[in-house]
Amino acid sequence: MEAITLIDQSVCPGDVVLDVSTIANHTIKLGGGLRQDGDVISVTKSGTLRFSNPNKYWVQISQKRYVPQQKDSVLGIVVDSRSDNFLVDIKGPALAFLPVLAFEGGTRRNIPKFEIGTLLYVRVVKANPGMNPELSCTDASGKAAEFGALKDGYMFECTTGLSRMLLSSPTCPVLDALGKKLSFEIAVGLNGRVWVNAASPHTTIIVANAVMNSETLSGAQQRIMVEKLLQKIQ
Amino acid sequence: MENDRPDGRTANQVRPLACSSSILHRAHGSASWTQGETKVLAAVYGPKAGTKKNENPEKASIEIIWKPKTGQIGWTNTLLISTITFHLKKQNYYFFSHCLGKVEREQVMFSDMSLLPCAINASSAALVDAGIPLKHLAVAICCSVTDSGCIMLDPTKGEEEKMKAFAYLVFPNAIVSVLPERPLQVGSEPMTNGIMTSVTQGAMSVDEYFHCLERGRAASAKLSEILRKNLGSKSTSEASKAG
Repeated sequence: MEAITLIDQSVCPGDVVLDVSTIANHTIKLGGGLRQDGDVISVTKSGTLRFSNPNKYWVQISQKRYVPQQKDSVLGIVVDSRSDNFLVDIKGPALAFLPVLAFEGGTRRNIPKFEIGTLLYVRVVKANPGMNPELSCTDASGKAAEFGALKDGYMFECTTGLSRMLLSSPTCPVLDALGKKLSFEIAVGLNGRVWVNAASPHTTIIVANAVMNSETLSGAQQRIMVEKLLQKIQ
Repeated sequence: MENDRPDGRTANQVRPLACSSSILHRAHGSASWTQGETKVLAAVYGPKAGTKKNENPEKASIEIIWKPKTGQIGWTNTLLISTITFHLKKQNYYFFSHCLGKVEREQVMFSDMSLLPCAINASSAALVDAGIPLKHLAVAICCSVTDSGCIMLDPTKGEEEKMKAFAYLVFPNAIVSVLPERPLQVGSEPMTNGIMTSVTQGAMSVDEYFHCLERGRAASAKLSEILRKNLGSKSTSEASKAG
């Protein structure tokens, strides 16, 4: 008798997806949205169950709020500055700390002056439950690597699912189609914030609207939508 | 001997159900649940950081704000609030300590009895919409007992006045499991036979109460279906537009 499988199906909190005692390979990796309850693995958040060989299970979820994870690149907004930290809002449960020295070549003498409301592209260094996350404006090796303040442009919020889709490789179809005809800069934060900058406000708005509308469309539908949009304005 | 109900339902039928989620823009999660003429809108904000004093950081904490359609919060509403708070704490008691502090606001849109079950269903859907990790979901239903001992599900306001007693019952959501042969056990009983919360008013006999439980449990399957369908179709619903 074939056991039913929930992989690639919508699951709901409480659903049981796996029985650990009957699996031959005893090491399984659980990603977000799953937890172990004795002998079974059950779901804690609603989404689509995914599996990748050999042993990774996770629930693909898309939310408005963000759960800080280490190594994520996010867009944060400066809320306050202290003597040794900037307080940055990254759409998570707690404000994140950005040490004033976490910049390439940062010393006590050249601390950047970020005003309240500055948009930053930062990397999450530490994200432990119960503690404020820690950020950095350098990559792991200490170089600046595009992190830092984002000037001009337009920032809008989206769901975490859309951010992940925009950052997927190969290039997301909507960005690919827009990039062929328009020239713009884009920064995507895994916390559900996207920043777009282009030479004219006209182009910025087209890109922003196209991205916002592309969440529920498939690859082909996204390309069609972008074509129609560009035809209308040219 | 089925009594004819004013709106033509049988004793075991619930009113038409509707559920929609992600309807509020600013809330982190929101849902509305309609049962006939009763409609409750629930919004969830959170998780938030920081523990207040006197709160155990190992447990989740939740704060409920309830807005009745008209009037101030009297004792009936306070009872509802405390029941919902108690019930929700039970529902997600396993939490990690960082998932603290959720604020939930419930707004009554239309009130035609069966308010507490409606609110619990709406809050289950809203918590899932916000992405709060939950151990399981709950569905709630109201059973009432007439003077002659008949059990009626989901009474309206008109029917309510003639009842001698009613019970609000909250059951765990029906789960889909890859283990069909071995249902989850809690103690020695299958989990599907469990009940999470029960609030009763009026006087009924023990037998009548057990009948209520049976009927309610049977009807909760339909509620589970609606809840699950609503959550599953989120991926195809309209994308959340930025403010």
